[in-house]
Amino acid sequence: MLNYTLRRLLAVVPTLLLLIVVSFYLMRLAPGGPFTSERPLPPAVMQNVLERYGMDEPLHVQLWTYIKNIVCCFDFGPSFSQKDRSVNDVIAQGFPVTLTYGFWSAVFVLVCGVPLGIIAALRHNSFWDYTMTGLAIFSQIFPNFVLAPIMVLLFTLSWGLLPGGGWNGGQWQYVIMPAVALGTSYMAGVARLTRGSMLEVLNAPYIRTARAKGLPERTIILRHALKPALLPTLTYMGPVFVYMITGSVFIDIFFSTGGIGQDFIDGAYARDYSILLGLAVLYAMLTFVLTLLLDLLYAWIDPKVRSQL
Amino acid sequence: MTGADPILSVKNLSIRFRTGDGMVYAVNDVSFDMHAGQRLAIVGESGSGKSQIALSILGLLARNAEVEGAALWKGRDLLAMPAAEINKIRAREIAMIFQDPMSALNPYMTIERQLSEVVELHEGMSRSQGRARALEVMDAVKIPDARARLRAYPHEFSGGMRQRIVIAMALMCRPALILADEPTTALDVTVQAQIMELLAEVQQAMGTAIVLITHDLGVVAGFCEDTLVLYGGRVMETAPTRALFRAPGHPYTRGLLRAVPNINDPSATLAAIPGSPPNQTHPPRACPFAPRCEDAVTACFETLPMLEPHAGTASRRACLRPVEALT
Repeated sequence: MLNYTLRRLLAVVPTLLLLIVVSFYLMRLAPGGPFTSERPLPPAVMQNVLERYGMDEPLHVQLWTYIKNIVCCFDFGPSFSQKDRSVNDVIAQGFPVTLTYGFWSAVFVLVCGVPLGIIAALRHNSFWDYTMTGLAIFSQIFPNFVLAPIMVLLFTLSWGLLPGGGWNGGQWQYVIMPAVALGTSYMAGVARLTRGSMLEVLNAPYIRTARAKGLPERTIILRHALKPALLPTLTYMGPVFVYMITGSVFIDIFFSTGGIGQDFIDGAYARDYSILLGLAVLYAMLTFVLTLLLDLLYAWIDPKVRSQL
Repeated sequence: MTGADPILSVKNLSIRFRTGDGMVYAVNDVSFDMHAGQRLAIVGESGSGKSQIALSILGLLARNAEVEGAALWKGRDLLAMPAAEINKIRAREIAMIFQDPMSALNPYMTIERQLSEVVELHEGMSRSQGRARALEVMDAVKIPDARARLRAYPHEFSGGMRQRIVIAMALMCRPALILADEPTTALDVTVQAQIMELLAEVQQAMGTAIVLITHDLGVVAGFCEDTLVLYGGRVMETAPTRALFRAPGHPYTRGLLRAVPNINDPSATLAAIPGSPPNQTHPPRACPFAPRCEDAVTACFETLPMLEPHAGTASRRACLRPVEALT
């Protein structure tokens, strides 16, 4: 298991390198740049600016410097658009915000979605099942850019229960709406998926064996059926988890939470090469770590997978 | 058969399934008694309803099933028992061995856990007591190196070993009756023989009664003292196994025996019974075997023969033209 984990972590290095090289050239290929503007700068000034950011060098030299700085000092360089701020500063400020509401959003998805799915499966083809499935389909097709304004309309403007935006150091009142708005449609997806796989598992021969042992229904569900029923949900949650923790551009803009989604948009508008590349690397690393964690979780649940590691 | 009261008495059991194509009459008016320590075979081809009989006794039928009749266990009707009550009988008094050991074991739990949970539930044992019992039973079903394999998962065992584990599971509480639903069908022929030998051995050692459900007459011959032949969900014939093999009374039984390959004459073609199993979407009004029976007369298509004793023997058969009447 440890061996497997180490091997997976080692594989991150070449992948990240490839990602950096490709993204670096792709961005530079696109027309325009951080210092292009309607009224061209005087050539002397432009020359100064380019030298200040090392952009007067040939591309491959710039790339080499970039990678060298990451490897030796974990330094992703200065921001091109935000004066006197480094990419590290920007991420250090925005990422904890995104991580906070992304984490709670994922918690919301699992804590609500899984039990709802199980209940619907156990009350198969009953009123509760139909209600749950109906609601799930409804919220799954409800995009967050529709849901978020409705929530603000109700909880902020009508009832004055929750603040309509801002972050305020991550107080819980400020976290709830971003987390729920980000997670609702995934929560519904998880509920539907869990319902389906639970129904399938409950028809498995080994569940009949468990019944023949005289075990009470509760024990059958919790001890025998839950683990296998959660496997498809886990697969689904992998990419969703990454998406949530890396945040949603829309949530950051709508609720003014100040997460990295906002930085991403700003960076794209300003052709801020270093911010964009830094965020891309961050996303990639998160994807690696989270998928690795999920694979380990898989191995923990499924002994067949475990024996292959 | 002994004169004592039966431990299980199945009376007029009928099982129907509501399906998209209407009712399917899987089991019709089946009655039999089981005595302590008895070995009874229920023989029939696929779809004859034999597995459903076993499932109904433990209340494990699919949701779309409707059951009629009674299955009296110590004077109480298992078919009418609420879930909490029948849960106390499952595994503790009546255990079941399932057909396919590949899928009957939970792939996500250790063998130890799957075995010990039975006695933890029914006998209030602790984990360590449960482990001790599991070891004992694994030894009894001859799983080599049992102690080391307690922590193993089902996929780490071969098919034959898994079936041994399924049998061990059924033995955990030393039940009075075991329902073995085609315990060897999914296994290699050589492993089949070992498993049947094992079943006979533990049955003798524990004095457990066994209902062996099978389509394989070869398996029955060496194992069960009594045999019940099922066709189209109805009992065709019931008799002591030896008498049945020597002198089958029902044309269907005769046909089945002819279809057993003869190892001494491998060149002989198998005598298959012509035709196909009956369509069971209507309750039977005539002998279900009549359309395939070479001795059938008009009356066979019009009346439903009752299961009647054959004078001077322990056999009973439901046939208007039993075999010996023709010779």
